[in-house]
Amino acid sequence: MSNHGGQTAGSDRRSGWFRGWRPAISMAARNLRRNRVRTVLAVLGVCIGVLAVAALGIFGNVLALGADDAIGDIGTQVVVTPNADAGVDSLSDADVSAIRRAVGEPAVVPLYSDNALVGNAGEQTFATVYGVEEPSLAFEAADGRLPERHRQGAIVGAGIADDLGVGAGDTLEIAGSQVRVVAVLVETQTFSPVAPDDAVFLPESAFSADGYGQVLVVSESGAAARVAADDIREQVNAREDRVELFELAAIVDEINDFFDLLGTFLLGLGAISLVVAGVSILNVMLMSTVERRQEIGVMRAVGVTRRDVLRVLLAEAGLIGAAGAAVGTLLTVLLVAGLVLSTPAVDAALVLDPTNGYYLLLALGFGVGVGLVSGAYPAWKAANERPVEALRS
Amino acid sequence: MYSVELRGAVKRYPGGGAEPVVALDDVDFAVRPGEFVAVVGPSGSGKSTLLNVLGLLDDPTEGQRLLVGTDVTSLSVAERTAARKESIGFVFQDFHLLPTLTAVENVALPTAFDPGDATGRAASLLERFGLGDRLTHEPTELSGGQKQRVAIARSLINEPEVLLADEPTGNLDTETGESILAEFERVKSEGVAVIAVTHDPLVEEYADRVVELTDGVLVGGVPDDSVSDDSGSDESMADDSGSDDSGSDDSGSDDSGSDDSGSDESMADDSGSGTSGSTSIPEAK
Repeated sequence: MSNHGGQTAGSDRRSGWFRGWRPAISMAARNLRRNRVRTVLAVLGVCIGVLAVAALGIFGNVLALGADDAIGDIGTQVVVTPNADAGVDSLSDADVSAIRRAVGEPAVVPLYSDNALVGNAGEQTFATVYGVEEPSLAFEAADGRLPERHRQGAIVGAGIADDLGVGAGDTLEIAGSQVRVVAVLVETQTFSPVAPDDAVFLPESAFSADGYGQVLVVSESGAAARVAADDIREQVNAREDRVELFELAAIVDEINDFFDLLGTFLLGLGAISLVVAGVSILNVMLMSTVERRQEIGVMRAVGVTRRDVLRVLLAEAGLIGAAGAAVGTLLTVLLVAGLVLSTPAVDAALVLDPTNGYYLLLALGFGVGVGLVSGAYPAWKAANERPVEALRS
Repeated sequence: MYSVELRGAVKRYPGGGAEPVVALDDVDFAVRPGEFVAVVGPSGSGKSTLLNVLGLLDDPTEGQRLLVGTDVTSLSVAERTAARKESIGFVFQDFHLLPTLTAVENVALPTAFDPGDATGRAASLLERFGLGDRLTHEPTELSGGQKQRVAIARSLINEPEVLLADEPTGNLDTETGESILAEFERVKSEGVAVIAVTHDPLVEEYADRVVELTDGVLVGGVPDDSVSDDSGSDESMADDSGSDDSGSDDSGSDDSGSDDSGSDESMADDSGSGTSGSTSIPEAK
């Protein structure tokens, strides 16, 4: 007799931990069905908490993504200007070479700059005129084609082209001379100190100045731009501060920090409702273990281990959490989908961004986690009660 | 060897005042395999405590507890749980079946978390108790007698050495109670020691031996071997003379050593006289 029992208890100790969950979950599911109203209410609590976390998390993320989209690539540009305080009025070819050496990878686009009246068919506007040799490194054409080397003609910013009604192939009067328009630039979505929308780009040969007014360093990413700026500070400004740097990466960082904070704040708001849901699970589990005190005592008396009792009760709390989390996640998806469909202003691409899935998973995990955490204490308490006390009614 | 034995067991509870409550006072108690012992006594005499100590639900404050000759006086919680599962079956007055489980699942409950499926064993146990057509019924769909049969089947799922019953007929009418006691007869015939705490005179009729507990003091706790050897057929005679003799045993407690040797002899005698009964059944299991 005892041999038989010994084998059962001793064999498969390791896999027993996993195997034991199947009967535990099955018993837990039946226990939850006993008091359906109470279970449904607890599930509803978790569901609302998960909905709050997921929806607010996604809301914050969409805001951040939208802002990121709007600020765009300003963080990728560094504008280098001569430091007038140190008596540097313009940047020489040597300076540009120094900058090129310092930054390495990113494109370095030196610009002459001036201001001029630009007109077409009686309409006139005041514009910044840049002299640039390699416009394709920093800009994109909407109309016409950007030459590899800018030898002749004018490249017109989107704003000017719109104001004067010119396109590629038209002629423009710049500071009194007629110049053919070779390309119109894509309208920039973002703020840039160069302001290409309201500028006209001419070949360098159109300028007789002996130094560049500014140098544009265009990087692939904000991080690369910051590295480039640091390199310039270290190398070009090594002996004296010859150049000043204007970089937006730092500002973009701060904006991103703000949206991170906003996202955390919104998640925190959601988490409060999830904590409330956790308290309700705690309450439900405490009530149910008190009500079932004798049953648990019987289980312990007939030889069910504390660990297995703990498993059944944890499974109950976990099931409440998982059910609430699943329904809450589904509701969030429906809610967000409904919002996108009913509000044209919301950019669907932002909502469908894969990072939002992370918030769904996070909320799902939180839901199950809240169930397990709030179930832990009642389960531990019930499993550790001495059966002799529990059986005494 | 006794199935379960207490030697000088004392159980004290911390009372509200300065004096602790003595629930068991130097109790010597032993039950042989296949013996049905009824423990009687007034309420509050310590019957439940005795059952809890015997069933490894509670530990004695002093004294020794043996299960099939092994000292199990002080075990860890996990060891006690394992020993209960292996060697002890419980039957309660209120049946204590889990309402969410079917009859067969209730019977298999002690093994529910073990590897392997005990459903087949549970079903055959229920069939033995005439509940073959109630396997998937929930406790609410069963009568009191049926519930108690399910509870007995549950207590037997791990083939225990000892079956402890707390007022097993307390919630049953006389007729059903008698049928339950008949089941106990069958259980004990398979070599299981059955100990029932009871107020029910019917249980006393079925018992091989009746011991009385009064204010924690047990009379007739250890079977007297010479008498039980002679009159194995006449239970009431054995009971009377047994209790008388053990009264004198209590006064001369230094005889306990000779008692032990006596019990060994009686075991040998039992197996010799009733060869067909006591050896064939364990093998059949």
